Amino acid sequence: MLNELMTALQAVATLQNFLIMAAGIWGGVIIGAIPGMTGTMAVTLALPFTFYMDPVPSILLLVALYKGSTYGGSVSAILIRTPGTASAACTALDGYPLAQQGKAGKALNMALYSSVVGDFFSNISLIFLAAPLAILALKVGPPEYFMLMVFALTTVAGVSGNSLLMGLLSACFGLLLATAGEDMYGSFRFAFTGDMQAGLSVAPVLIGLFALPELIKLIVFRNPPKARAMALGDDRVSGKEFRGVAKTLFRGSFIGVILGAIPGIGPSAAAFFSYGSAQRSSPRGQNFGKGEIEGVAASESANNGACGATMIPLLALGVPGDVITGVMLGAFMIQGLTPGPLLFETNIHEVYMLFIGMLLSSVLLLFAGKFTMRIFTTIAKIPPTLLSPVVLLLCLFGIYAIGNSMFDVVVLLALGLVGFGMYLLDIPTAPFLIAFILGPMIEENLRRALATSRGDPMVLLSSPITWIFAALILFVVALTARREIGKANQRKAEAQ
Amino acid sequence: MKKILASVATTAVLAAGSVSAQDYPSEAITLVIPYGPGGASDLAGRALAESAGKFLDEPITVVNKPGAGGMNGARSVSQADPDGYTLLLARVGMALAPAVNPQVQTGWDDYSFVGSLEATPMILAVREGSEYGSVEELMAAVKENPGAMTYAASGPTAIDGFTVQALLSDAGLDPLADATIVPYKGGGALATALLGGHVDFLAIAAGSLMPHINSGDMKPLAVFSPERMDDLPDVPTVAELGYETAGQITGWSALYGPEGLPEEVQAKWDEVLGQVAEDETWLTLAERRGSISTVGEKDMPAYAESQYELFRGLAEEFGYLGN
Repeated sequence: MLNELMTALQAVATLQNFLIMAAGIWGGVIIGAIPGMTGTMAVTLALPFTFYMDPVPSILLLVALYKGSTYGGSVSAILIRTPGTASAACTALDGYPLAQQGKAGKALNMALYSSVVGDFFSNISLIFLAAPLAILALKVGPPEYFMLMVFALTTVAGVSGNSLLMGLLSACFGLLLATAGEDMYGSFRFAFTGDMQAGLSVAPVLIGLFALPELIKLIVFRNPPKARAMALGDDRVSGKEFRGVAKTLFRGSFIGVILGAIPGIGPSAAAFFSYGSAQRSSPRGQNFGKGEIEGVAASESANNGACGATMIPLLALGVPGDVITGVMLGAFMIQGLTPGPLLFETNIHEVYMLFIGMLLSSVLLLFAGKFTMRIFTTIAKIPPTLLSPVVLLLCLFGIYAIGNSMFDVVVLLALGLVGFGMYLLDIPTAPFLIAFILGPMIEENLRRALATSRGDPMVLLSSPITWIFAALILFVVALTARREIGKANQRKAEAQ
Repeated sequence: MKKILASVATTAVLAAGSVSAQDYPSEAITLVIPYGPGGASDLAGRALAESAGKFLDEPITVVNKPGAGGMNGARSVSQADPDGYTLLLARVGMALAPAVNPQVQTGWDDYSFVGSLEATPMILAVREGSEYGSVEELMAAVKENPGAMTYAASGPTAIDGFTVQALLSDAGLDPLADATIVPYKGGGALATALLGGHVDFLAIAAGSLMPHINSGDMKPLAVFSPERMDDLPDVPTVAELGYETAGQITGWSALYGPEGLPEEVQAKWDEVLGQVAEDETWLTLAERRGSISTVGEKDMPAYAESQYELFRGLAEEFGYLGN
C-alpha cells in the first residue's frame, strides 16, 4: 500500500494538476461568491472541459470547484447578506450582523477556517471510512430520511428570532411554497401557468428572501444606517475565539460528514442541522442570529464537511447523492471509469491519486480563501448607494443565467417584495427558507415510506435510527416549549 | 483614407449580413436539455454539443431546464423562435408526457424533428441475492401477494414507470395496483433505492444500472430494447420473453427544434448529423454511457408518432386518461 501511495503521489504531484486544482478552487470561490451563481453551475460548466483531460485531473477540477463554491457562498453571505449558495443561508444569519458591527474580516476568517476544518475532516473520512459510511448510508431508507429531515426542521425554532409563533408561521409558508409544481406522482399543484408546473427553484427564492429586502430597505428608507460601513478593523480570529468554537467545529464537521455521506441530503441541510445543534448547546445560544461567531463556524464547518463526504456514496457505491456528484458520475463515465466497489480493485492507483489531490485541495482552499478575501473585503469600503445597484444587477443576471428563464427573475422579484413585507411585519425569513429547502425532502420521503408500508404510519418508527430521531425531535420540542414558557413568565414578571 | 475605410467596413458588414442568411449558424446555438445535469440526457446533450460543435464552426451552449417531467424545457423550445439557434435534446418523455397527461400543453408534434440521436436500453433488475431469477418468477411473486411488491420509478406516468406497468399488464396483472410504485428522482436515487433494499425491483435506463450489474450488486432479468445488449449477451429482451407491449418500450434521444425551422437549418443539420454519426468522440461517448447511436437512422416524425400512439394506448388501458 505504501508503495502504491508513493507512486500515486508522484503521479498526482505535477505542476499541471496543482494549477488545475488551484484554478478550480479559486474559480469556485469566485463563482460561489457571486449571488445567483452556484456550485452546480460551476461544475456543470466545467464538465465539457474534462472531456479532453486525464481522468484524475478532471475529477479533481470538479471537486475543487465544488469545495471552492461552497466556501465562496459564505463571502457574499457575510458581506452583503446574499448567500451565494443555499448552504450559506445560516452563515448570513450571523455573518452579516458581524459585518455590520465592523467585524466582516473576523467573520470571513472564521468562515474560511471552519470551511477548511470541515473540508479536512471530510477528506479524512472519505479516505478511511468510506466503506462503513457508505453501508450506513444505504440503510437510510424513506422512514429514516423523513425523521432526519423533520429533526433538521426543528432548527426553525432557533432561527425564529423574537417570536416562535412568527417563525412557525414563516416556516409554514415555506413548506406551502415548496409544494408548488409537479409532485412525485405527477399531479400539479399551484400550477397556474406553464412555468409554475416546474415549481420554484431554490436560487431565486433564496436570493429574493435574503438579498433583495436589504436593497429595498435602502431604497425605501433612504437613510442607510451608518454602521453599514463595514470597516475591517477587527478582522482576526483570536486563538481564544478559535478554541471557544472548537467543539462546534468538530460537531459541525461530524454532522457534515454523516449527512453528506447519505445520498440526497447535501450541504444545505447539514448546515441547518449543525446551526440548530450549535445554538441549542452553546452558552451563547441567545446571541445566535445577532452576530455570533459560533454560528458562522457551525454553518460553514458543516457545509464544507458535507462536500467531500458526498463523494463517499459516489466512490464507494457508485451512487451520486446530489446534482453535483451526479455531474461527477457523468465525468467518471466519460473517462471510462466506473465509480463503485470495483473502482477500488481496478483503479486503485487513480483512487489514491484522487485522495491525495483532495487532501491537497484543503490546503489550497485556505490560500485561495485568504487571497480572495482581500479582494472581496474592499467591497466593504464601497458605499451602499453604489454597491446595492451592482448587487441587484448581479442577482438579476445570475438568476437569469442559471436557467435562461425570465420566470426565475419574476420569482426573485416577487420574493424580494415578500421578504420586505416580512421584514416590516417582523416575521423572520430564515425559517421560510429552511422549510422551503427541506419541504420537498420531507414530503417525498413521507410518501415513499407510506407507499412501501401501504399506508401504515408505524413504518416511521420501524428502525433504531428512526427511534433515535423521534427521541431527539421530542427533546427539542420539549426544550423549546420550556424556553417559551420561561420567556412568557419573564414577560409577565416584567409587566408586574 | 477615412472614407475608404468606412466604405470597406460597410461592404464588409453588408457582405457578412447577406452571407449569414444562408450561412447558418453564425452565432452560438443553445441546446436545451429538459432534465437536470448529470443524467443520461445531460450526458447525451453534452456529447452532442462537443461532437457537433466541431462540424458547425460555432459552439453549442448547453442549458439544463429541468422540471415537470422534462416538459418545462421542451415547452420553452417549442415556443422559441424557429431560427435554428434554440434546439432541444428530446427524450422519449416528449412523446410520453402529452400522451398520458392531459394537463401537458405541448403536443408530441409541436416541434421540428431534426433527427434521431440514440437508443438507450432500459434494464429490469433486482438486487443480487434476491430470490427472483427470472421475469416469470418476479411476476409470479407479484401475483401471489398483490400490492406487496414495490418498484422504484421516476413516477407512474414516467417512462420507467411505464416499463413496469406494461410488463405487469402483459403478464395479466393489474398494472396500477398489483405492484406498488415508489417514486424517486433521477437515476442515481433510483439505483440507490434498489441497492439499499428499499424497493424490490425496477426497470430503468441501463446507464444508471450497468455499474451495479458489473460490480455484482444487481441482477438483470431482462432488457427493454429491440435487441439484446452487447454488454449483457445472456440477458433476454422482454419481447423475446413474449411480453408484447412492454417489448415496444425503450429509451431514446433525438434532436428537436421549434416548429417551422427554415430549410437551410434542417439541411445544415442533416449534413452535421451525418458527420456526427461517424465521429469518433460521439461514438466512444455513446458507448461509455451505455447507449446505441442511431444518428440519422430513424424517420423521426414517424417514430415519434408511433411512440405517442403506443403510450396513448397504454395510458387509456391503464386508466390514466380518466375515460
